Parts: sequence; structure tokens; C-alpha cells
Amino acid sequence: MIDTANLRQLISLDGNGTTFQGTYHRVPDERDSSQAEVNVKSSLGIFFLNSLTLPRAATGDSAIYWADSFANCGYPSFRFDLPGLGDTEGELSLDFLDFINSGGFSSIIALKVTELTRRYNLSGVVLVGHCAGAVSAIYAAASSEHCAGLVLLDPYFHLKQAVRPWIREQISTWARRSSLGRFSSKIYDLAGDLWLSAKGNSVPRNANFPLLKSWKQVADAGLPILLLKAPSLKASGVKPRQGEFDYLSYIASMAARKGRVTVTAIEGTDHSFANRVGRLAIRQHTENWLQTHFPQAISGEPTLNSSHRTEDTTTISEANSMTSIPVDQTGGGN
Amino acid sequence: MVEQAGYFRVPGAHLYTVLHRVEAPVARVLLVGPFASERHNSYIPWVRWARYLAARQIEVLRYDHRGIGESTGIFEQATFSDWSEDLTLLAEWFKDQFPDVPVLFHGLEFGAILAGRLFHQGKGDGLLLWSAPANANQVLRSTLMRWARLEQLLLKGGDERKSAADYIRQLEQGGVVEVEGYEWSSSLWHASFGLELPAGLADMAAVTSGPSKPVRIVELGKAAAPLVKGGTPGFDELRDFDWLYSENMNWLSAELASLKGMASDRHS
Repeated sequence: MIDTANLRQLISLDGNGTTFQGTYHRVPDERDSSQAEVNVKSSLGIFFLNSLTLPRAATGDSAIYWADSFANCGYPSFRFDLPGLGDTEGELSLDFLDFINSGGFSSIIALKVTELTRRYNLSGVVLVGHCAGAVSAIYAAASSEHCAGLVLLDPYFHLKQAVRPWIREQISTWARRSSLGRFSSKIYDLAGDLWLSAKGNSVPRNANFPLLKSWKQVADAGLPILLLKAPSLKASGVKPRQGEFDYLSYIASMAARKGRVTVTAIEGTDHSFANRVGRLAIRQHTENWLQTHFPQAISGEPTLNSSHRTEDTTTISEANSMTSIPVDQTGGGN
Repeated sequence: MVEQAGYFRVPGAHLYTVLHRVEAPVARVLLVGPFASERHNSYIPWVRWARYLAARQIEVLRYDHRGIGESTGIFEQATFSDWSEDLTLLAEWFKDQFPDVPVLFHGLEFGAILAGRLFHQGKGDGLLLWSAPANANQVLRSTLMRWARLEQLLLKGGDERKSAADYIRQLEQGGVVEVEGYEWSSSLWHASFGLELPAGLADMAAVTSGPSKPVRIVELGKAAAPLVKGGTPGFDELRDFDWLYSENMNWLSAELASLKGMASDRHS
């Protein structure tokens, strides 16, 4: 059973022994339909993944803003919690980051993409992932025949520690706060640059090679990929900090022959993309990219208000009421 | 156990709710969660606590404040009165479902203020507070301080960097500050001083001279991050919180047994 909200519906994907809890953002044409699942007219869907351990709303509820916006442009959008995250049940282990970095979620995401495309009669989905979610998206795209494209927000291609050693944290703090520290930091960056040059800019040893392999697979297959990058600390544009390996140039060169990879820098935001500048830029770049690669009739009006939320009075049907919760409480599949 | 997600209609918004339904519950607990970005940071251990209770025959209802998370409504337009009234409506509905089963409120941080105030009005059969601040301004202030530190790590530096004091000055002078994707207005800042935890719930010493209903007030330490501010994202959420859950469950069990005993005495 799903509830009768016009704009959003709470849904479950309960196939393959794992139940994903999520939210479906309906396209304008379907908002008055009580049978949205069979009426999306073979359109392309957007499938949002969690960013690391965040619930599906993402920082500042930015994923809700994007999903509402893309649905308004005619792309049915779905935000799901992966097992153990948000409202989806499942166990998480302390090596969670290793699990993600090795593609631990890829098979279940691929299964759920198939389940979703069948249930909603979608032609395919574009996976949207941020940070660790982008890593899972790349792996899943390599193992899913229904993945039609990727939107990656600040993906990373190296293996990193979840917890920074205490001493490194203290040095970083000192380097930021004192003039001597900042000077030392510049020397450190320069040394890193020299070291990289001496090594011939070869891929670092801590690169995530299985992920790079999956990247090559999806890029070589010609999958449209939009990669959006927030400025790194002490860097601008898509370039990394001085002294760090330029993964984006490297993966772009890997995809050069057949790839349809677009890399765009988003200025004025941070890694979360949750501020007004970041969320608007992500929305505009993604909508343009979707229209270029997956043109679809836009039946809704674009969300132009500055707020990240749509007015409630226009989004939710009057069918739900305080007293009707027992019948309208949802989450039990379709 | 069944977890039912849905929307609860209140004037001007629909609150996202998840009911952790159990057969023949011995009690029901309404979880009142933290503010804005803290909802996201604490989500995993908060949901696990709901499941922990449900596994012990305690039915749980948790929800998102309007304008935050999966609830609808516009955060920038929501007021502390809205958030308080939403809780009142939800608590009334929750109690009405099974009037004979005791309902306890459990608030965390900002949610502790709301839950404490509702309890102080005579609602609910018991109260559990985790890290209850004296007023909502303390919630905003501590969030702002953490955010300013985090921003210094994320931004490029130079003129873009601001301290928490800079942001507070901005709010006090009528400006707007964006904190982890939520726009805080000056009016929100000023109103936050007025949303206070009732004096009788300041600590356990204050409680002993207060109501006879069960009350427990717990100050969570850093070991409870991310239920409290601090910790390392992507790491602390995954820790085992059984030590915290079991301790509070033991209190809950003892108080429920006591409530049951009192009810039996009244009937006999």
C-alpha cells in the first residue's frame, strides 16, 4: 500500500529479500493519478543513493530539493535508503567505508534498479550519488543493464581512512591557523608536486583500482556521465590541491575515446553542495544534462522559488488527515 | 515487527512519521528528535533505538519536524510554536489510539525541550530526556559553533572564513545564516531564547520535587556522538550503542512495572 500524497509517495521495494524504504517524487502529469506505478509512460527515472551514512534526504534536505525539481521536469525521481541506512533495515559494520569502496552495495543496487524499472515501467534510470554514494553508483552502473546514466557529485577514486590519525588532525589545524603553519603547508604542497613529477604522475598506490576498472567499463560503454565537482581545499575549478594526483584528468583520459563524460566545477559551495549556490547549480547542470542526453517532455513547471521546498498546500492531497493515519500509514510495499 | 511510514497532517504541513508497530504493546513511546541538521547526523542510532524498543514490546512513533527531513513545510517559515503545536497534535493522536496503554515522551536535544514542555502541561505518562538544553538558543548556538568549525575545514579560507561569533553577530543584527543547508533567520535566533525547558525538568534534583510520573534526565557524553554533537561522520554512527539503550531500557522497564502496579492497586 502506498499513500495518496500528490507530489511524493512513500514506497518500498521489497523484492530479492531486501526491503528498501524510499520516497517517490511524481511527475506533474501523474500527481492526480491513484495508479502512478503503471502510468509513467516508459520514461527515464532518477535513482538517488545515500551519501555515506546520511539518510536519503541528504545534507540540508538537498536531495529532496533535487528530486522535486527533476520530477517537475518530467523525470520520476526516487530516493532510497540503502540497507542499514535511514529507514531501511540492515546491519552496518565498522568497516563500512571499506565495504562501500569495494563495491559492497553494487549488487543490491543493481537488483533494485531492475525491480524499480519493472514496477514503474521505466526505460532505465540515472543513478545519482554523492561522495561515497558516487562510488556505489559507479560500481552499480557497471553491473546493471538498466542504468542509463550517472550523475556523480564529488566522487573519490582513492582509498582513504575514515578516521584521520590524531596527530595529522593536529598538524592540519596548526597549518590552517598559524602563519608559520600556512607557510609550511605551501612547502608541503610544493614538495608533493615535485614528488608527483618525479614519479611521472603515475597513479598513486592508494588508488581504488577496482573502482577505476568499473569506471573504465561504464565510460567505455558510452554511458553518459555528469561529474560535478566542488572546489577542494586550497584549489579551484576541477583541479586538485597542488601536490595531489589529478584523478579527474586521469579518469577523463580513460574515457576519452568513447566516453560521454562531462566534468563541471561548481564554485561557491562546499563538498556537501547543500548551500543555496550549490544546490541550485547541481539542479541546473543536471537538468540541462538530462535534457541533452535524455530529452523528455517537460510537463511540469520548473521550480523557481528560492526555497528548497515546494509549498505544502500544492503538493499533498487532502486525502490524508490526522485521523486517517491508520489507513494511510504506508511503507508496506505496493 | 512492522515499520509503517506515512504522513500525518497538521495545519500547513504533513509530518513524516514512522510507526514501529508491535502486538500488544506494554507501552508506547513518542520519540521527539533533534533540530535540523542534527536530525541527519543522529539518524542511525535514533532509528536503532526505536527498533530496540519495538523489539521489547514497546511501540514507537518517531517523526520529522515540519520543514526538516521527509516532512513537508518550509523550514524558513516554521516557528517554534509550529513545532510545539505539531508535537501536541501528534501526541494526542498517538494517545487516542490505545488510551489504556501508557505513553511516554522521549526527547533528544531540541526534541527534549518540546517533549519536556508538553509533559509539563500534564500530557504523557512519563518522560525521558537525553541532553536537554535549557533553551532552544543553546541548540542553535552549539550547532553554529560546530558548523563554523566544519566550514573552516571545508572552505578555501581567507575572507570566506567566519567564526561562530561572526555568525551570531549577523543573526543578532537581522541577517540570515545558512547552516548545513538550512537558512536560519534572525527571528528564529531571537525566538530561540524564549523556548525554554521547564525549570522543574532542569535536572534530576529538580524533578524529585516535581510530578509523580516517571521522569529520567540523562546528560549524554561524547561517547554518545552522533546522538550529541561531535564525533567523526561515517564512523561514530556505526558504533554499538547497546550500553546506552540497555541502561535506559532498564529504567523504562522498572517504571512500567511500577505504573502497572499502581494501576492494579487502583482497580482492586
